[in-house]
Amino acid sequence: MGAMEGLMQGIQVAFSWQGILFVLIGVVAGTLIGMMPGLGPISAIAIMIPITYGMDPSTALVMMAGVYYGAVFGGSTSSILLNAPGISGTVATSFDGYPMAQRGEAGKALAIAAISSFVGGTVSVVLLMLFAPALSAVAVSFGPPQYFALMFLGLTAIASLSDGSTIKALITATLGFMVATIGIDGQTGTTRFTFGNPNLLEGIDFLVIALGLFALAEICFLVIKRKDTSLQNQGDIGSLKLSKKDFKEMRGPMGRQSFLGFILGVLPGAGATIASFIGYITEKKISKNPKEFGKGSVKGLSAPETANNAATSGAFVPLLSLGIPGSGTTAVMLGAFLVLGIQPGPLLMADRPEVFWGIIASMYIGNIFLLVLNLPLIPYIAKILKIARPMLISLVAIFSLIGVYAISFSTFDLYLLLIFGVLGYLMRLFSFPAAPFILAFILGGMMEQSLRQSLTSAGGDMMILISDPVSIGLYIVSILSFIVPIIRNRKEKQSDQEEKSDAS
Amino acid sequence: MKTLNQKLSVFLILLSAGYLYLSYNLKEYPYVPVDSDFLPKVLGYVLIVLAVFLFFDKSSETEEEKEKRQVPKKEIFVLLAVGGMIFLYIFLLEIIGFVLSSSLFIFACSWFLGYRKLKTTLLVAILFPLIMYLSFNYLLQIRLPQGLLPF
Repeated sequence: MGAMEGLMQGIQVAFSWQGILFVLIGVVAGTLIGMMPGLGPISAIAIMIPITYGMDPSTALVMMAGVYYGAVFGGSTSSILLNAPGISGTVATSFDGYPMAQRGEAGKALAIAAISSFVGGTVSVVLLMLFAPALSAVAVSFGPPQYFALMFLGLTAIASLSDGSTIKALITATLGFMVATIGIDGQTGTTRFTFGNPNLLEGIDFLVIALGLFALAEICFLVIKRKDTSLQNQGDIGSLKLSKKDFKEMRGPMGRQSFLGFILGVLPGAGATIASFIGYITEKKISKNPKEFGKGSVKGLSAPETANNAATSGAFVPLLSLGIPGSGTTAVMLGAFLVLGIQPGPLLMADRPEVFWGIIASMYIGNIFLLVLNLPLIPYIAKILKIARPMLISLVAIFSLIGVYAISFSTFDLYLLLIFGVLGYLMRLFSFPAAPFILAFILGGMMEQSLRQSLTSAGGDMMILISDPVSIGLYIVSILSFIVPIIRNRKEKQSDQEEKSDAS
Repeated sequence: MKTLNQKLSVFLILLSAGYLYLSYNLKEYPYVPVDSDFLPKVLGYVLIVLAVFLFFDKSSETEEEKEKRQVPKKEIFVLLAVGGMIFLYIFLLEIIGFVLSSSLFIFACSWFLGYRKLKTTLLVAILFPLIMYLSFNYLLQIRLPQGLLPF
């Protein structure tokens, strides 16, 4: 089937009334959840998964994609209004967004964020449409050794997922990988690490881990900070109007960061966080008056907002065409696909064109929804931040528990969820990042399978893994993508310190 | 006095030793070139190596990280209490049903954490579980535990 025909099918899905309705639901739910302090796209996607049970896969995934980019957008709202980024991808947004809001121009800041997000999102969907099929076409010929190399590349993302210590990120990834080995081994039927417990035979469901490590662990922090009333006293938002001069200033960053953000999103491990920081830094470097940055600059707000949304669509390229997640968030997204019985990968475009193209086509609608909904409704939506913390805590707890119960119907999994919640809290307490855990957990099962398939086909010869140019190339890229972020992190830390000394 | 990293490292080494012990005791399956114990063994050793690196990691905690770790004793009690309530919720879920247990949980948890608007709490505690229950059971066709209620 030609790409055109597939695209038409996708458009049919996206523009059907269910398609439009569920994109709308996804975008709104994503925005609301993403806006909550602490709850980012990972929690948003995990919380929404139970709602998709029994839904038509293409409609369900169109909605989940909406949740994803809606949550990224929602995060920027709380960054601007409260200086409390819901997720790391919008930290850079608060650099200039919050000062602008403090000047009484919150409305303007939100409008800039909404328009920049729209441009970044839309440009990158066009790029996604061009790149994903091309990558699929290449990947169709991949066998287990190449897949193993690809997933290895995905895992090296861990180096850049870590905010601080790379060692800690690698440790959590190894632990995630270990948890993935629990259950019956698919190839030999050996039961591993189940301690005779029949509930563990099928392994631990990824939703238990996603909701435990992220949503429940975040509840603990909400509990401790429950008396923090800073959320209650946000002032007037002010006018949403932008002047011609503002538009003129936004044009440059929006144009550049749409492309840069997309490319960074495609790369494993880079994603929205890195894209937004790099977007901010590059615009600051090429700006004529970099001193404005950090004090409410239009460019400084527009750049990270464009970049993080562009990166969000960019992250769909490896997810849809290779079936390999490059970040914690896309790992949970992959889980959402698998729950619905859809295996993303090079065959997705040929086998389920309505899913593949439906998601892509729906992103156009989703981005328009975000813009149309958010511009006029922002002042009202922002009221959700005023929900009392104790109430929020109880509701998020119930959502997480029922999400898990509805997939397994066993209370054993709920106790497990509680355990992972405690683990997630402890990990955060000791500054171990949680994203590598979920990424390694999801990649782990797939990696072991392709590793053993490769070795079985070669009769146990390890050389099969590095016997062709594609795999070797991928390993080289992996090593580079592992080392480069470490060096960059060091440099960033240095420049951070310089900035701090500048400011003081 | 050992640093925090060193304590964590010792814990992780013990953990991987336990994991390795279990891996070496996995049943053998002779007809495949790579048996089910191969990867777990690799992972166990990798974790030990990483833990050793952590042991000698000199980078001290940043102030921000330290501050995050300082949890007042009273708050630990609050956290444990919330954990206990979740535990109780799970225990009661299949016995008294989703609606009743959720109502109780929302009411008790919000009240305990200091929310004192009785009307709002009651309204949310009753309506939210009911709406969720009905939409799961009738819209999504997922049967949540019915428990004591007749529907």
